[in-house]
Amino acid sequence: MIEARDVKLSFGETPALRGATLAVAEGEILAVMGPSGSGKSTLLHCLAGILVPDAGEVQFAGQRIDTLDEGARSALRRDRFGFVFQFGQLVPELTAVENVALPLLLAGTKRRAAVAEASAWFDRLDLDGLQQRRSGELSGGQAQRVALARGLVSRPKVLFADEPTGSLDSLTGEHVMDLLVSSAREQGTTVVVVTHEARVAAYADREVIVRDGKVTTAVLT
Amino acid sequence: MIGLGLRLAVAGGREAAARLVVVAAAVALGTGLLLATLAGINATKTQNLRYAWLNTGIAEYTTTPRAGVDPAWWLIRGDRFRGQELGRIDVAATGPAAPVPAGIPALPGPGEFYASPALHDLLRTVPADELGDRFPGREVGVIGDAALPSPDSLLVVVGQSPETLATQPFAQQVTAVLTTDPAGCMRCIIGLDNTMFTVSLSVIAAALIFPVLIFIGTATRLSAARREQRFAAMRLVGATPRQITVLATVESTVAAVAGTLLGFGVFFAARPGLAEIPFTGATFFPSDLVLTAVNVAAVAVGIPLGAAVAARLALRRVRISPLGVTRRATPKPPRAWRLIPLVAGVAELAYFVGRRPETTDGQTAAYLIGAVLMLAGLVLAGPWLTMRVARLVADRAQRPAALIAGRRLADDPMAAFRAVSGLVVALFVMTAASGAITSFVAERARPAGDSVAATSLTQAFWPERLAEGAEPPTVADIPAGLSAVPGVQAVLTVRENDRQVAQNMADPSGPGLISCADLARAPGFGSCPPGAQVVSVWQDLIGPRDPGVTPAETIWPASTVTDLDSRRLLSVVVQTDGSDAAKERVRTLLATMDPFGEPPASDAEHQASSTLTLVQFQRLADVVILASLPIAGCSLAVSVIAGLTDRKRPFSVLRLTGVRIRMLRSVVGLETAVPLLVVAAVAIGAGLLAASLFLRAQLDYPLHGLGAGYYAMVGGGLVASLGIIAATLPLLRRITGPETARNE
Ligand SMILES: Nc1ncnc2c1ncn2[C@@H]1O[C@H](COP(=O)(O)OP(=O)(O)O)[C@@H](O)[C@H]1O
Ligand SMILES: [Mg+2]
Repeated sequence: MIEARDVKLSFGETPALRGATLAVAEGEILAVMGPSGSGKSTLLHCLAGILVPDAGEVQFAGQRIDTLDEGARSALRRDRFGFVFQFGQLVPELTAVENVALPLLLAGTKRRAAVAEASAWFDRLDLDGLQQRRSGELSGGQAQRVALARGLVSRPKVLFADEPTGSLDSLTGEHVMDLLVSSAREQGTTVVVVTHEARVAAYADREVIVRDGKVTTAVLT
Repeated sequence: MIGLGLRLAVAGGREAAARLVVVAAAVALGTGLLLATLAGINATKTQNLRYAWLNTGIAEYTTTPRAGVDPAWWLIRGDRFRGQELGRIDVAATGPAAPVPAGIPALPGPGEFYASPALHDLLRTVPADELGDRFPGREVGVIGDAALPSPDSLLVVVGQSPETLATQPFAQQVTAVLTTDPAGCMRCIIGLDNTMFTVSLSVIAAALIFPVLIFIGTATRLSAARREQRFAAMRLVGATPRQITVLATVESTVAAVAGTLLGFGVFFAARPGLAEIPFTGATFFPSDLVLTAVNVAAVAVGIPLGAAVAARLALRRVRISPLGVTRRATPKPPRAWRLIPLVAGVAELAYFVGRRPETTDGQTAAYLIGAVLMLAGLVLAGPWLTMRVARLVADRAQRPAALIAGRRLADDPMAAFRAVSGLVVALFVMTAASGAITSFVAERARPAGDSVAATSLTQAFWPERLAEGAEPPTVADIPAGLSAVPGVQAVLTVRENDRQVAQNMADPSGPGLISCADLARAPGFGSCPPGAQVVSVWQDLIGPRDPGVTPAETIWPASTVTDLDSRRLLSVVVQTDGSDAAKERVRTLLATMDPFGEPPASDAEHQASSTLTLVQFQRLADVVILASLPIAGCSLAVSVIAGLTDRKRPFSVLRLTGVRIRMLRSVVGLETAVPLLVVAAVAIGAGLLAASLFLRAQLDYPLHGLGAGYYAMVGGGLVASLGIIAATLPLLRRITGPETARNE
């Protein structure tokens, strides 16, 4: 489904990736582990077409995406990928359900229909009754589940998650991971989840470790 | 602590520096405007003093006999050249000790004249038969600045012999030249009403400075959160609240001092341009736009002091504890009671329609209270209106941009409105003033344009202006060349009527008579009733008439007079093609025919003089609108930036997920353009309503549509402020770059 071959990327003088190679199969849930600053986020950004590598290539569904222009990559992210980040991704002006409906609205779905479709996710993610809350009125775990719903609502091929539980306590984090994994499996979504917690990685089918800008180990669990 | 404050202010990172620069720029703008106003008030006074000598002979003090002074004969008249007034003083010294006005070395002798620099230039470039021939003799010098109200003033001091002037009934013997402010002299007619100009300059300054204050306030809030976090961090390491206040105060004061200095620079740089604004009807000498020591001291001390106080007040809203920042109050949605003063103001003004108060004081009170209620009401009602419109937008929105923008405006309508409230004040005041002035001028102005009111010149020989025993010119005295001047279409003579006829505005019969045969020669001046040979007319063949009646529609009343040709001449009316050259040639020829008479003029020219100041004021109102809109645009731009920084993270995440930057741009655009346009529309509507109610109540005039100039100003100002907002949009791309979404 996604493949990175010998990807290199530097931020000015700082090399973040020094030849990372990685392949993710369709429907697979892959955990990317590694110490802080090792290049995990940068790798994820390259896989998702947010950053363009200095060298190497990135393919999605057999097609190179590192050679696409910014507009085409944006469209790809919008239509094929979903994202969950560590925190602060909800638009504060919108209610929880509107935040979830946002990708649908952006794709041109009518407001009523989009909100109805988004509401269905609240039940699935144990968020019932929170539809009308603003982001400031949600707990960290609730906000992450809303973000997860937003990442999945447009049924993406791949869900990219960068430290989705990084700012949650372990119990809440597990709840979020549980839901992430079960929803992804239900929909057959491929997942790339970046984390530095082994506990989170345990939910994945497979894990890789990034060290000094290289994908060094692959351990089967 | 102050040293640390200074260091933080100067080296507090990019955001602190940006805030410093923006606040300083806002303060500079406000200071510049304030200084311009003060200088304007001073310049008006100076200009008025330079008008003083033109009242010589009018002020009683100048005509009382004085020992040791040889009186001078003095005759002042108002002539015109191509739409500009030309002051003409004919003088004759009766001895060597005659009074001499400032600006000329001595009174000119017969056959000599002094011209103002502007007139001097005209005399050299304009053909003599259009201007120079009006003044007998030769130019012996240029009038000095001390006698010039404005560098553009057209003035001439013409020397005559005492014998000639002595026979002129309006010439006077003067023993002194008036040098005191004509505003202080009861009978003075030439000069400015200082109080009026001070009041209107102050209104204009307020209308401009209010938006600037708002701008300063908004700018101070720029990245306030970051600053407050910094203060909280300092509290954590042991700074006392007092010390924090000192820090904040030092920072604002540094910005204000820099801004004030810059403001003086702005003022001096803009001074030559400001002098060109003919606010009083005439331009100023740049050197007249001076600041007194008191002005300078008050501004230089007052503004930094005000900024320090403002900083202290701003910090009172937040409590900075070592654990962070807590807002004292979360915004509550505005309530509908905020509409009450606005409605009350409209009701108050509407009440007086048809019930005009008897006294001037009563009228002033009635309209002022209504206007102030409406103005305050607009500022109060603004947040409520903003909230209603925003909710409507959010509820109806199908697209995410409108939804997000509508929600944000509805969440904190106070903040959204604050950025444009300065604009409300400026637009309301100026629209009401423009509306009232335009309608007033339009009601007063009789049809002009290419009608005879603008194209015909009248030279009248009023019997009471004639010297003792003298006779007016006769038909034979009319210069032969007059009808031969290119562009002259007809030369008509009007004879004296019997003066027992009641002559007032309602009475169409005038002080003159004309034969119907003559009248028929020149279309456009009305007609005779059937069968009439002679009709009574006004001296200019136009007379006081109702607005809406064109001169051509007038039917003059028949007269039974039969001895028309033997009667004395009352006036000569020359109809031209309206070209400047033709009119000025005719004026020059008529002046040689009756050298001491009232200089000829058209009906339109008389009118232009009487509405000149109003028209000038309106032009100034346009300038205020043009200036205040971009200032409001700046406030908006600053709040755009603040709103962007607030939502840096969610916006960058949205961009990562593939949302087009276009969508984020429309969010920002809607958040600013909607309040700007809604508020502008409401303020303009309220201003027009106020003007209309005032006109109905006081004058029973309808509101006339505002001129294209006004709409051009409003449109141009709106485009400029939208442009300023648009200029902040590239920031969006930078602020929401992928690195912002990183977890750190
Ligand atoms: N926008 C950036 N500018 C400069 N350096 C960056 C940027 N993003 C990441 N880096 C650097 O690249 C390296 C890898 O960063 P990142 O991929 O965020 O690591 P991780 O997610 O594993 O903690 C780090 O040394 C980091 O400092
Ligand atoms: Mg990371």
